[in-house]
Amino acid sequence: MQFGRGGKPSAGAFFDSDFATIDTFLAQAVLHGLQGKNDCRVAIVTMTRPNLPVAGFVDAVERYYRGPAGNFAQVPPVGVRTEGAAGETPAGVTAPFEKKGPDGKPLHENKVRTVIDTGDPNTLFRNYLEAQNDQNAFFVLAGPATNLAAALQFRGMKELIAAKIRFLVMAGGAFEANAGPETHFKADVAAAKRVLAEWPTPVILAGAEIGAAFPFPGASIAKEFAANSPEHPVAELYREWKTAGYNAPSDALAAALYAARPKETYFKVSEAGTVTVHDDGRTSFVAAAGGKHQHLIVDASQRDKVVQAYVDLASAKPVLPQRFRPPVADKPADPLLNKPVKQPE
Amino acid sequence: MMTRKALPRRTFLRGMGSAAIALPFLDAMSPAFAATTKPPVRMAFFYVPNGMIMDSWNPSYEGKLGELPRTLKALEPYKEDILQLGNLTHNTGRALLDGAGDHGRCSGSYLTGIQVKKSLIDIKNGISFDQIVANEIGKQTRFPSLELGMEDARQAGDCDSGYACAYTNNLAWRSETQPLPPILDPRALFERMFGKGLPMTPEERLRQSKYRRSILDFVTEDTHKLEATLGPTDKRKLDEYLSSIREVERQIDRAEKDNSQIDPHMDKPYGIPADFAEHFRMMSNMMAIAFQADQTRIITFLMTREGSSRPYRELGIPDGHHPLTHHRNQEDLIEKVRQINAYHVQQFASFVEKMKSTKEADGSTLLDNCMLVYGAGLSDPNAHLHEDLPTIVVGKGGNYFKTGRRMIVRRETPMCNLFLTMMDRMGVPVEHFGDSTGKLEGLNLG
Repeated sequence: MQFGRGGKPSAGAFFDSDFATIDTFLAQAVLHGLQGKNDCRVAIVTMTRPNLPVAGFVDAVERYYRGPAGNFAQVPPVGVRTEGAAGETPAGVTAPFEKKGPDGKPLHENKVRTVIDTGDPNTLFRNYLEAQNDQNAFFVLAGPATNLAAALQFRGMKELIAAKIRFLVMAGGAFEANAGPETHFKADVAAAKRVLAEWPTPVILAGAEIGAAFPFPGASIAKEFAANSPEHPVAELYREWKTAGYNAPSDALAAALYAARPKETYFKVSEAGTVTVHDDGRTSFVAAAGGKHQHLIVDASQRDKVVQAYVDLASAKPVLPQRFRPPVADKPADPLLNKPVKQPE
Repeated sequence: MMTRKALPRRTFLRGMGSAAIALPFLDAMSPAFAATTKPPVRMAFFYVPNGMIMDSWNPSYEGKLGELPRTLKALEPYKEDILQLGNLTHNTGRALLDGAGDHGRCSGSYLTGIQVKKSLIDIKNGISFDQIVANEIGKQTRFPSLELGMEDARQAGDCDSGYACAYTNNLAWRSETQPLPPILDPRALFERMFGKGLPMTPEERLRQSKYRRSILDFVTEDTHKLEATLGPTDKRKLDEYLSSIREVERQIDRAEKDNSQIDPHMDKPYGIPADFAEHFRMMSNMMAIAFQADQTRIITFLMTREGSSRPYRELGIPDGHHPLTHHRNQEDLIEKVRQINAYHVQQFASFVEKMKSTKEADGSTLLDNCMLVYGAGLSDPNAHLHEDLPTIVVGKGGNYFKTGRRMIVRRETPMCNLFLTMMDRMGVPVEHFGDSTGKLEGLNLG
């Protein structure tokens, strides 16, 4: 996406996840909600496991927010890792495709039939990072660090990340005393270790305790989603996933929210230090000046504000991406046509 | 036992003045091994501008090619030799923070895989992959590579939103700053191929035209000497080959005569035919000869330049090509672009036919040993898209490509991955080129 005037656009968001828990799908919606408020632009969404039905759902969410492909922009493919286990397919990922509108046509279309309908995560990272202004993008990771660890070994990627990315926010780790192994770290300990050691920007972690403290209210599916985005595919998924009223842990949501609005007071942030991932997936943190890791800390006084933000942003009505071309009065002549291009009415 | 000394592969028929005609492969060049000598692999690129109407280019299926879509219809007789690729992408053609100028970028980066510098004066690109190959194997042929085209080779000026014309008017780049301008004039190409390797001086040209003599007349003595040493098969081959050169020469003479009748103010240098199909036929006939005689193994051909506003009056289309492609989904305009797309393919098909009907020393066809890439740097021209670029590879690249099918790769797969594979086939393996992420898998027969 290009902007004809007004300097830098809002920060580009790169979202990588295993899409194995409901909060990861909600986080994708929250990032698009933040885009609607001009707090970020969702550049690309990637998956750490080769599960095509889930990729089809994630792709449908992208299309729900981005609208039909138009001039100078396509809906980018979902990046899908082709190695490893496909894992579980959550009940409900096909539910939105069965829903029809008043005209009898499906409200959502599954455009991921085979792996060719997806992209290679590294290629997508590279291609979409190159389109960002320097220090004007962030990564959100809500799953095993597999894709990001692989990216660090991809030709030229570390330098590109250092140039373009401000920080990485990981939904990972567990920072309470005596916390056990954390799911995302445990799923790929080697990858988590590599990313924490080699990622060339600051890394902020949203631990399991953040997700547990401010759960996402399941009641919002029947209330806010029904009112604001009745056709939202994630609402369909949520209904099928758990019984009504289920409140979901929200560490992925916290990571997305903090990444796009780091100056807000939703959470406290630890001092700088070093996070260590142990072989069994447990986490430890040691404060140290100059350390490049920090982790979010629950601020109980912000509970309502945080939960309200989750609900409002995830259920917000889609705001279609703005056209990059300036209004017709500002449009320079196209030298090839030798006359101004008129914008459609 | 009688032994005969083999004729060297690089034998020329030479004559008075600057004439020097390279020969096709003859049995006499390797009598004992003629049947087993493996012909070299050649590659050529045919670039068409302003994207493609994709619904008439892409079949709706993957796998074995059935009835070809409308734009490719002229290639129907050769579909068993076609590999149609889907989803190849040139990310370096995209804006990537450089704003407008998709035409300048997409052609500039087409063979380099490098994001070109947006400038009118301080041009900067990368070395194109054909030239990397030419640098490695070019010494084996008379010309390391040939750069040809049909429209507008000017290098200076703004050809697209701040991109220098050097980016839209050249495909091959010898270095970051040195494009290789295409030869547009059939006469100039003829003189380069059958002369000293350079266009004739005005004096030489005058002398030759004064006597209306064929280039073959200058090498008569050498031809007779050679014929005396050849067997009947080689004699026939030589005769066919020299006849094809004579035919090209006649075409050029005819075009020059015709051009003298038309408006002298027309924007065409002397010798370039006004008729598009005629121009293409001459250039492509010489391309076939160049490959047949192993004068070069690498050709880049710019059918017309990116952003071209050439009208196609021969099709009853007086509108410029580029403005038409911004059709705003108006069906009447789309239809005209479809006709132009199909017309270009029709010309290309005549070249494919020639390549398929020309036999190599081992009984294979010239086409079997070629990789002819036909494609564009944009897909949907109205939207200026750089993904799913229209791309076909025609020919088996020396019994390598599994043709007769449509193969779709993952979305966003770099076009440079195809180039990496082609470099391998040309005997110049490299690990990385442009924005490649690895070789394109699944192309081969294995």
